[in-house]
Amino acid sequence: MAGEPILEIRDIRKNFGAYQALKGVSLSVQQGEFIALVGPSGCGKTTLLKQIAGFEEPDSGSLSIAGQPMLGVPAAARPTSMVFQKLALFPHMTVADNIGFPLKLRKVDPAIIAKRVEAMIELMQLKREYLTRYPRQLSGGEQQRVALARSMISEPKLLLLDEPLSALDVKLKKVLQAELKRLHRSVGVTFVHVTHDLEEAIMLADRICVMRSGEILQVGGPNDIYYRPADSFVAGFIGDTNLLAVTVKGNAVSAPGLTAADPTVPAQYVAPGLGDGPALLMVRPELITPLESGQVADFTIDVTITEIFCKGGTVQFRSNTEGGAPLIFELPGASKQPADIGDKLRLGFPKRDIYLFRERVAA
Amino acid sequence: MNGEIDRSWRDPELLVKALPSVILQTAFFLAPLLMTVALTFQRTKNFQLTWTWSLDTWTDIFTKPHYWTILGHTLFMAITCVILCLVIAFPVAYALATRLRAFQDHVKVLITFAFLTDATLKTFGWVLFLDKNGAANYLLQQVGFPPATIDILFTDWATMLGMVYNLLSFAIFTIYLSIDAIDRSLILAAYDAGASKFRTFWEVTLPLARPGIWAASVLIFLLAVGVFLEPKVLGGGKSPMSAELIRQTFETRVNWPLGAALTLVLMTVAVFVVLLFNRVYSLKRHMGPV
Amino acid sequence: MAYPTPTPWMNAKTEAQLAGVLLYGSVAAVLIFFYVPIFTLIAFSFQEGRYPTLPFEGVSLKWYGALFENSGARDALWNSTIIAVVATVFATVIGSAAAIVAVRYKFRFRLPFTGLSAAPLAFPQLLLGIVLLLWFSVLGRAFDFNTGLVTAIIGHVVYITPFALVIVAVQVFNFDATLEDAARDCGATTFEVYRYVTLPLLWPGIFSAGIFAFLLSWGNFYLTYSLAGSTRTLPTFVFSGIATGSSPLYPAIATVVFIPGILLVILADRMRRKAA
Repeated sequence: MAGEPILEIRDIRKNFGAYQALKGVSLSVQQGEFIALVGPSGCGKTTLLKQIAGFEEPDSGSLSIAGQPMLGVPAAARPTSMVFQKLALFPHMTVADNIGFPLKLRKVDPAIIAKRVEAMIELMQLKREYLTRYPRQLSGGEQQRVALARSMISEPKLLLLDEPLSALDVKLKKVLQAELKRLHRSVGVTFVHVTHDLEEAIMLADRICVMRSGEILQVGGPNDIYYRPADSFVAGFIGDTNLLAVTVKGNAVSAPGLTAADPTVPAQYVAPGLGDGPALLMVRPELITPLESGQVADFTIDVTITEIFCKGGTVQFRSNTEGGAPLIFELPGASKQPADIGDKLRLGFPKRDIYLFRERVAA
Repeated sequence: MNGEIDRSWRDPELLVKALPSVILQTAFFLAPLLMTVALTFQRTKNFQLTWTWSLDTWTDIFTKPHYWTILGHTLFMAITCVILCLVIAFPVAYALATRLRAFQDHVKVLITFAFLTDATLKTFGWVLFLDKNGAANYLLQQVGFPPATIDILFTDWATMLGMVYNLLSFAIFTIYLSIDAIDRSLILAAYDAGASKFRTFWEVTLPLARPGIWAASVLIFLLAVGVFLEPKVLGGGKSPMSAELIRQTFETRVNWPLGAALTLVLMTVAVFVVLLFNRVYSLKRHMGPV
Repeated sequence: MAYPTPTPWMNAKTEAQLAGVLLYGSVAAVLIFFYVPIFTLIAFSFQEGRYPTLPFEGVSLKWYGALFENSGARDALWNSTIIAVVATVFATVIGSAAAIVAVRYKFRFRLPFTGLSAAPLAFPQLLLGIVLLLWFSVLGRAFDFNTGLVTAIIGHVVYITPFALVIVAVQVFNFDATLEDAARDCGATTFEVYRYVTLPLLWPGIFSAGIFAFLLSWGNFYLTYSLAGSTRTLPTFVFSGIATGSSPLYPAIATVVFIPGILLVILADRMRRKAA
């Protein structure tokens, strides 16, 4: 992964009137990487993508692709290609014309265009007879593939994906996620994928960049993001998690109702730079187990069950600690259910895979 | 829809597209209008315009009730025409938007064609039809009616018929568009709540179609105060309306300042009436139906 | 407790029947109403006798023959065509461009721009004609020209452009602007975006605007009457005919005036159907 980054963004700022859409964003992406920009709507991820594509120009900062400065270069002249959220297939052109359009604009010989289009159709596993159809005659998933084909035919250095899967139903989404992953492996182009779905990002990307309010909160591999979030915002962004308010002193944690034979937490489970004082202890619901009498765990805590949800494969229990804090835990669905609403239980969780970090940083 | 683009008004791409229209309407609509205003303060002598500033024309207008009687008659005719157009157009627009699935396009084409055909010709057609010896009376006589059963040509009735005829399409299209835009699920929700078709129509469709009805009323009213052909050809010029008066002032009396002033009075009064109704209408909407 | 089902004021079946009769009846009545004078004209144009009255003395095409021998009518036909073609081109181009600006761009003077561009729509034609006539008279005195074909065309363009604007605006409104971004992303220059994406997608709207413009101009009476000076078009020719005493020649001219309208409206409908 060494060498010149394919995309280098330095301190980009973008304001819309008084609204700061990007507040100084820096990011570098390596050749061949699959990077995901994740965040809730309004976090600036799509704005950042538009700066990369060249649809908008940042107010300040620098942006280079493959070492070439890109600011002031129009979208048409950038070695990037975008897959739009609503696909933006041209309704008045056939599938073949849509896919071949970038090459037509580059004045490529029609015979070569036809050949390249067929190759793309094959790569996207689309049927050949679709070539003469119009986009609206295709299903959502097929349109998606056509949009991908159109974006890749000009062999861009960067493929930008603006939530292209967000409008699809869950099943089709899964299929196309797998497809994207396969495509990325087979063509070796750098993908920048914008999504609001962190689970999708974790599934697809080599690296994830979590954004909020025009800033990057954390950049890291899927495991970093999942197990070592930068703050409570990142932690809360993926599924259900527990964040217990604790007090740190030395390496030891304490909280009302929380007991431990050895309350110290190994340094690998502590956010860098976390000092003494209030902190959050994150423990994922699937790590918590109910304790039979006599069983022991690294940490134990007493709770009262408040709600039970069946989640298919697992059953989720919601409970309150004696200190009044909510705590969620999940058990395999098939196992004997240990408790009912209103029951008191003793829960335990290991030191492994917990994480201690600071409170959400102010935006 | 999406994709409104923020642009400076100096952006060349925008100017290229905007300027032709701006220049056209400034040079040949706004400027002539302003000049018309200026004209009203000039004098005429021996059918010649002299560029001397004076208030003669305005004094004349405000002291002669004749002009105002004609204006009153014009407003009455215009308002009547609006009401008739709305009453006739609404069921047609409603049927176009909600029924007639198979024939909808054909009916639209037929109405469009009738609309795009020149008013003079159609008005002339009415003369041939309504004349004492015309087609209508001939046909009626054939089935046993006495001669000249229909004798409305050269009356206000014929004028009104012509006005409604020539302006009705505006109402049909405008109201049709607003009914067509109504979310079908709102109507189903009303049925679901137990409302009958009539209730649904009265309490859901009609209120939602209001913007279209309002737009149609304004458009028809503004066009109706300016009609000239119908009173002249169908009404026989017996009870002239303002536009005809203006025409005569220019053509026979060759009094440009007076004609210009009458034009302004007509337009001002028309706009004033629209604003007045708008006020009443928005008051009613704020206070809810009484 | 259960609330009672709302009781309709008449039973549903009667209500549906009544609504059906009212709605279908009104459509039928209005269509008849619209076509009474049109069919009257067409019918009388085939009258053999000298007067456009019933009963027919016989059916003949002789007035159509007379029409083409009448030099006034021939000139009128030619003038109508010239004015309509030129006015259509200008009105459609200017109106389409203005529609894109009014719908797509947010800029400082958007409201005044849209207001000015669409204003003649709600201005009575006759008054527009008078105001423009005054304007051309004053200008004509200053720059020494008379009203005629050109002034008539200008009047038509002023009047028709707002119609074109409104028709194209509907199309622009339904146009997804990301398609232009997509084209740019594919490598298209501003000109290529227009050529390959914007114009083809707006084409149905521009095309109907063109047809509308042509027919409005072709059949226009008021503005031509005011602004064309001594130049006659078919509608003003017919009007002078009504004034000087009727003959089936005028219904025949009227019928000729209808023909391009019928053809164009059918053509537009075909195109739209094909596109759908």
